Amino acid sequence: MEKPLIKVRSLKMYFPVGNRLVGRRSVLKAVDDVSFDLYPGETFGLVGESGCGKTTVGRTLVRLYRPTAGQIVFDGTDIAFLSEKEVMPYRRRMQMIFQDPYASLNPRMTVSSIIGEPMKLQGVPPQEIADRVSELVEKVGLKKDHLNRYPHEFSGGQRQRIGIARSLATHPEFIVCDEPISALDVSIQAQVINMLEDLQDQMGMTYLFVSHDLSMVRHISHRVAVMYLGHIVELASAQELYSNMQHPYTKALMSAVPIADPDLAAKSSRIVLQGDVPQPIDPPPGCPFASRCRFCKPFCREQRPEMREISPGHFVACHLI
Amino acid sequence: MNNLLEVKNLNTSFKIGVGTVQAVRGISFHVGEGESVGIVGESGSGKSVTMLSVMGLLPDYADIRADSILFAGREMTQMTPKQLRAMHGSEIGMIFQDPMTSLNPLFNVENQLTEPLRIHMKMGKTEARQRALELLKQVEIPNPEARLKQYPHELSGGLRQRVMIAIAIACGPKMVIADEPTTALDVTIQSQILELLEHLKNTTKTSIIMITHDLGVIASMCSRIIVMYGGIICEEGSAREIFYEPKHPYTWGLLNSIPKINGNPDEKLIPINGTPPDMLMPPKGCPFAPRCRYCMPVCREYMAPRTQLGETHAVACHLMHPKAPKVEREV
Repeated sequence: MEKPLIKVRSLKMYFPVGNRLVGRRSVLKAVDDVSFDLYPGETFGLVGESGCGKTTVGRTLVRLYRPTAGQIVFDGTDIAFLSEKEVMPYRRRMQMIFQDPYASLNPRMTVSSIIGEPMKLQGVPPQEIADRVSELVEKVGLKKDHLNRYPHEFSGGQRQRIGIARSLATHPEFIVCDEPISALDVSIQAQVINMLEDLQDQMGMTYLFVSHDLSMVRHISHRVAVMYLGHIVELASAQELYSNMQHPYTKALMSAVPIADPDLAAKSSRIVLQGDVPQPIDPPPGCPFASRCRFCKPFCREQRPEMREISPGHFVACHLI
Repeated sequence: MNNLLEVKNLNTSFKIGVGTVQAVRGISFHVGEGESVGIVGESGSGKSVTMLSVMGLLPDYADIRADSILFAGREMTQMTPKQLRAMHGSEIGMIFQDPMTSLNPLFNVENQLTEPLRIHMKMGKTEARQRALELLKQVEIPNPEARLKQYPHELSGGLRQRVMIAIAIACGPKMVIADEPTTALDVTIQSQILELLEHLKNTTKTSIIMITHDLGVIASMCSRIIVMYGGIICEEGSAREIFYEPKHPYTWGLLNSIPKINGNPDEKLIPINGTPPDMLMPPKGCPFAPRCRYCMPVCREYMAPRTQLGETHAVACHLMHPKAPKVEREV
């Protein structure tokens, strides 16, 4: 098998919460012991509900956070605990596309300065930046006369294109797409997804595609990991995961997705989970899903299930499988 | 089936600094007793404004004109604000998208839930409290006694939306309007709420109007679907007609933009090119013409007339004209 571009081992990202002066300080375990590999040129989908830690994984991988523990091996180097200065050369090689195209573009910068900024930081000469910026806007389907405008003059879909152009500026090998389409209308979502696929075909980037839209993740991803409460509960190729899911949470999550087909929707039965996602603050030992699982056994509450490979490339963390 | 709500030629526009936004442009529709109707469309298509106009909940600068809005045989356009208010919350319940902003953060659940009961049903305090407890049980909120005393910020998103639903159904309304009721929720919570709405629909025979942009939500909930674009109804029909025999290129575009549940992931999605129209200056002809693959010269000049294809199925598209070229949906 190919050598992975990024190896993530036992990644932990904890945030302190609560008052520092009075009372007890608690720990929010946003990501708790997550391991996976990303292979060059693949799209790795990361799905889960809000608060499961999927965005935190993405942000930690590009070192927007300094992880609590674990390894992030990028092309042979562990970048998890490098200093800001040491991590700088790696920033060029990994970029991020953000969820909210309204919040992630500086309203006081023109489109050309937004797209050019990553290159400026990397010390690219101004003339080269100008050339590359005009090349990029065309690549993402915008026009050259858009370059001197400001973000507020664009629609949500166009702004997301500006964000994508910015992320491509430094020829990255790896891009974290953090819910890139969830703020967009249905008809615009397909435009952006097709563009991301085309760009990957042309330039061979690796994507980490973070989303709660399970049908879009199935469409775009080669492999998919399902997260719950800071843990990966199941990981497999997209085809295997969607046809042969094993973990009770994956099954419930998949059955909850509304099907855009009246006949199939009438036939399918939903597994309705009781209750809400628990807070990842001081979580109890044992399986993270135990409190909502229909098949929960006493030992599930005591012992954390290990990730096991049940068939080649298909990993599940559940005591009952 | 009798019509509970009948809207004829509704136009809503907003005067703003730079001109007039024509949000809804001459739409007519009806909702039968006990029927669940879905209104789908993208942001800015006029789906929410349509229902807010019907309810009379828009701000003063909105200009609402309609030939007639009949609800249970009564003409709503002739009603005084006082008469309208008497209907809100008693005969028509509303569920909004974001339960955090539509519940009052300063009052606890009991206050907000008993308010419609005391105003509309003239219940006393103890009676209203009893009924409130029953309602919380009906929307499957565990431990209702404790919840009555809690404030909205103490509840999770799913619980808040359940409280909203309890308020909406408190006085046994004839119709519930749900405006994107699950958009702010996670999928597993969304499925709980949809299950609950379906259960209420089946047990109470309330008509439901579901406004959403999510075709999946609508496929499982609604028997009839209205597709809106650029302030007009471009297609309407039964759920099966819209999903299996759509006729309007916009409906095709919508269905093609979402990945098929059993589809081949290697197949490309077929997006709709371009962006939705600016309702400050809506196109003269069909609002979808600038983005339509099958656009003809006539489409840019004139609005398409409504063509009735069957008992429930109607479409507003020039391609329906006998002399228009025959086109097939790309799948």
